[in-house]
Amino acid sequence: MSIKYVPEYVPKDVITEESNPNITRLHPLKNFIYLLIIVVSVSIVIFFALGYAASWLTTKISPENEAQVGRLLYNTVSEAEIIDDRRIYYLDELLHNMLNPGENLRLPLTVHLFDSDDVNAAIMSGGHVLINNSLLREVKSENELAFILAHELGHFQHKDPLKSLGRYLVMASALATVGIGTSSSSDGLSKVVSWTGEMTMLHYNRNQEQQADEYGLERVINHYGHGNYSLDFFNRFQEEDGEYYQISQYFESHPKNQNRIKHLNQLANNNNWKMQGEITSLPKWINCPDMDEMQCE
Amino acid sequence: MESLLQIFGILFLLIIGYLFGNYREKQHFKNIKQREKKVLRLSAASFGGQQVIATKVTETKLVVGSVVISIDYFKMISSMLRNLVGGKVIVYETLLDRSRREAILRMKEQAIEWQAKQILNVRLETVAIGGRFGGRLDPGSVEVIAYGTGVK
Repeated sequence: MSIKYVPEYVPKDVITEESNPNITRLHPLKNFIYLLIIVVSVSIVIFFALGYAASWLTTKISPENEAQVGRLLYNTVSEAEIIDDRRIYYLDELLHNMLNPGENLRLPLTVHLFDSDDVNAAIMSGGHVLINNSLLREVKSENELAFILAHELGHFQHKDPLKSLGRYLVMASALATVGIGTSSSSDGLSKVVSWTGEMTMLHYNRNQEQQADEYGLERVINHYGHGNYSLDFFNRFQEEDGEYYQISQYFESHPKNQNRIKHLNQLANNNNWKMQGEITSLPKWINCPDMDEMQCE
Repeated sequence: MESLLQIFGILFLLIIGYLFGNYREKQHFKNIKQREKKVLRLSAASFGGQQVIATKVTETKLVVGSVVISIDYFKMISSMLRNLVGGKVIVYETLLDRSRREAILRMKEQAIEWQAKQILNVRLETVAIGGRFGGRLDPGSVEVIAYGTGVK
């Protein structure tokens, strides 16, 4: 009788990875990257298209309607406004001096001065120019201040506040329609879409800032006959910015100060604009408007 | 700067989710395969409620296997992206596959301990636990229950 060798029974895998019909063979990372690329690129296309449409449409608003929008928006400003101050008249005059002779304004400009520690100036729809008094403490010459005002005037003439408002409204409603909410909601995914949207907006903003800068420098040169000292404000801030600014530059709406100055100097060079000249000093009472000039020292 | 921090935060959660989630999933599948070989001899069938059974049954017992497995952040974000474009949510396929198999395994292991000859009338149920309503950073979990009638 022969002995037959019977090997121990080893069962095969019940369900192998290859035979499992319930699992798709695709690496999860590949799948993720594929999805991310699709979502980001579609969002970019949609935001660009909507953004262009909105900025085009909002520029068609009549000055009357713009003034009304401006009033509504201005009412939401909660900072402490300084009223009946001689600095306002000075700023108003300087702002209007930046206009070319014969240049039309579609709406009257109103200068508002605020008591705030934030060194800032801004323009709102409806021709509201907002200036913080700490900005007046930081500027060292009238040339610097004039450039800042002319920059804001440039925004106004290019209808930038309206365009930004239109883009913002379109974006907010587009995001709300797909149920993603605003950028403040912190669901992981909504971020991907809303960040893409914000980056797209920043792109527009950077372009607008550059154009306003160019407009500003041209007006300063027209007024003073030269562009010297007008960019010193940004030179000083560039030194203070340090490294943090470098990382976050991509997320800022304003071009990096260094690049701004470089670009403007190049522009002046190309157009043979004069960049040398006398400094025009600020009025002595600029930071103590209630005293006369003798006491202010 | 704030949005920069948010990006880093999400990236961190994604990487943690991917590394740990993927590692644990691999380990789990390995473990499931080994155990499935051991319980192979016990058959489990989804009929038996109203049908006539060939074998003579002397004793019956309800056997239940249940497992709760958490989704990781990577899976959650992947599925949310998928929600926008539609299609197979493949990151959840593996999750549910291993949950189902684990639940069946636990049921079978319990039945074997009781020395069952067969499990009849097997049913599977799936429930989502937690998730979107549990909190902003709670990706949620899935519970799978397998139950049937063990017969001797």
